[in-house]
Amino acid sequence: MQTEIIKAYNEAVYDTDRDRAMEVIHAALKQGVTPEEIVFDVVIPAMESMMQAISEDFDANLAQHFMAAQIASQVTEEMIAQFKTPPESLGTIVIGTSVGDMHTLGKRIVSGCLRSMMIDVVDLGVNIKPEDFVDKAVEIDSPVIAISSMMMHTATSENGCQRVREILKERGLEDKIKIVVGGAPYRWDNELYKTVGADAWADNGITAGEVIKKIVMEAKS
Amino acid sequence: MITGMDRLVAAINGEKSDRIPVFCNLLDQGAAELGISSLEEYYSNGEHVAEAQLKMREKFGHDNVWSLFYVGKEAELLGCEKIVFSKSGPPNVEDYVIKSYDDIVNLEIPDDIYSHPGFEENLKCLNILKREVGGKQPICAYLTAGITLPAILMGMDKWLELLLMGPTDIRDLLIEKCSDFFQKEIAAFRKAGADVLVYSQPFGSTDILPMRLIKELTLPSMKRDLEPGGMDGMVYYCGSSPFINVIDMMIEKFGFGVFYLSPKDDIAEAKKIINGRALTCGVINDIKLVSWSREEIRAEVKRMLDAGMPGGKFLFGTLVMPYDIPEKNIRAMLEAAYEYGSY
Repeated sequence: MQTEIIKAYNEAVYDTDRDRAMEVIHAALKQGVTPEEIVFDVVIPAMESMMQAISEDFDANLAQHFMAAQIASQVTEEMIAQFKTPPESLGTIVIGTSVGDMHTLGKRIVSGCLRSMMIDVVDLGVNIKPEDFVDKAVEIDSPVIAISSMMMHTATSENGCQRVREILKERGLEDKIKIVVGGAPYRWDNELYKTVGADAWADNGITAGEVIKKIVMEAKS
Repeated sequence: MITGMDRLVAAINGEKSDRIPVFCNLLDQGAAELGISSLEEYYSNGEHVAEAQLKMREKFGHDNVWSLFYVGKEAELLGCEKIVFSKSGPPNVEDYVIKSYDDIVNLEIPDDIYSHPGFEENLKCLNILKREVGGKQPICAYLTAGITLPAILMGMDKWLELLLMGPTDIRDLLIEKCSDFFQKEIAAFRKAGADVLVYSQPFGSTDILPMRLIKELTLPSMKRDLEPGGMDGMVYYCGSSPFINVIDMMIEKFGFGVFYLSPKDDIAEAKKIINGRALTCGVINDIKLVSWSREEIRAEVKRMLDAGMPGGKFLFGTLVMPYDIPEKNIRAMLEAAYEYGSY
């Protein structure tokens, strides 16, 4: 049954049809599937299968990434409210856009994706100063600072990722906090993340979720 | 002397000039060209933009000039009051015109863009370009499609949310209003002398929307955008998103005469699909121009021209060139395009 639910849910997500995806989830609940099973046996495997498909060159588009993250985070939020005991968070990460960058879509996809996988996200918003990224990460003990930049100059700015790297170095935090970057410039130059001093990058919001989850799990262990 | 317009017209007609046309999209670089340190100051005056465009074209020898200041200018015409300027990159919309669905209902589209105070500097720029190089060098204008424009009026994520999950009456109203704006804006640019009209339509790429939604939403909105003014000078462009699988549909439905590809599109494949029905522009990944060596640049230009030149009807172009590209790399790219692009 679970395989059928995942299949029906994923088809609705790929069709960018939120209403149908929610119908699949609600029908499953009526059939006796528990909210816990919906999250851990349907939503998370479905998200992981989408990550896998995208990493294997499945031709997904931005609307599908956006909807996959939105639907997954909506379902997760709705189901958690019905859990018998609150689920344990795997960790918390910090996300925001670099100085001068007002583009919110990428971080919204990443955040939705992570929340559906039980990783909490502190979204600092747009146009974030490097020291604010680091201060917040230290405050909440985040193993990841995720920086989204949609323009070349906001990706390579001295006040962007490069400065975050310098501050981590100055404060001796490089072993504890990793920097993950994403956004259009990194898709056009796959080595750019190294130039700006990041530890990792992701081609899109969904795979960013995968990259960040891996670092969070490593930090946890 | 052969002009950029001669080369472009020859390429459109499938004839050979001395070489293929080469479009090089330098925008923010204009400020440094005039010795102006602030982009805000540079873009505050249409004379600056025109003067810099003319100077850069003289200096590098490419075949086009731009009347585009920055993309957020369209949002300013619709009431955006806050643009964030940077020292080293394009200005960005900071304050969105649409913050609620009520703002969509209340959004007013100016009746006449040509006489709108927000168009004054564009007009100043176009008048100079027309006077100096009109008919000799293609004068480009950038126009955001009706279904794409909401992304700069409310932010891309809010627009996707409304487009994919919001109330359809509000969604359709916004597309309609943005399409009205497009119709008036293109009329103003045509009247002011722009002759290459770049139709920016990322929502016409299957990298952004699935084909089902392109057919259901994008095509009807494009019909609304394009029918009143006709297709003269229109260039199909999806930002940097690839769109090879919609080319055939766009020719059949609208008769686009020029396709400005994504660097990710396969040039030879695109030409095969277009099959002489339109001009193909092969576009270089200009972000790599920041770090590529001269040899790498020359090899990439050669690869692109080898794929695009057979059969003619081909143009070489760039996206919006990042400010960080060293001038020697701009020259290396253009020299290679002129050399390998010669007939």
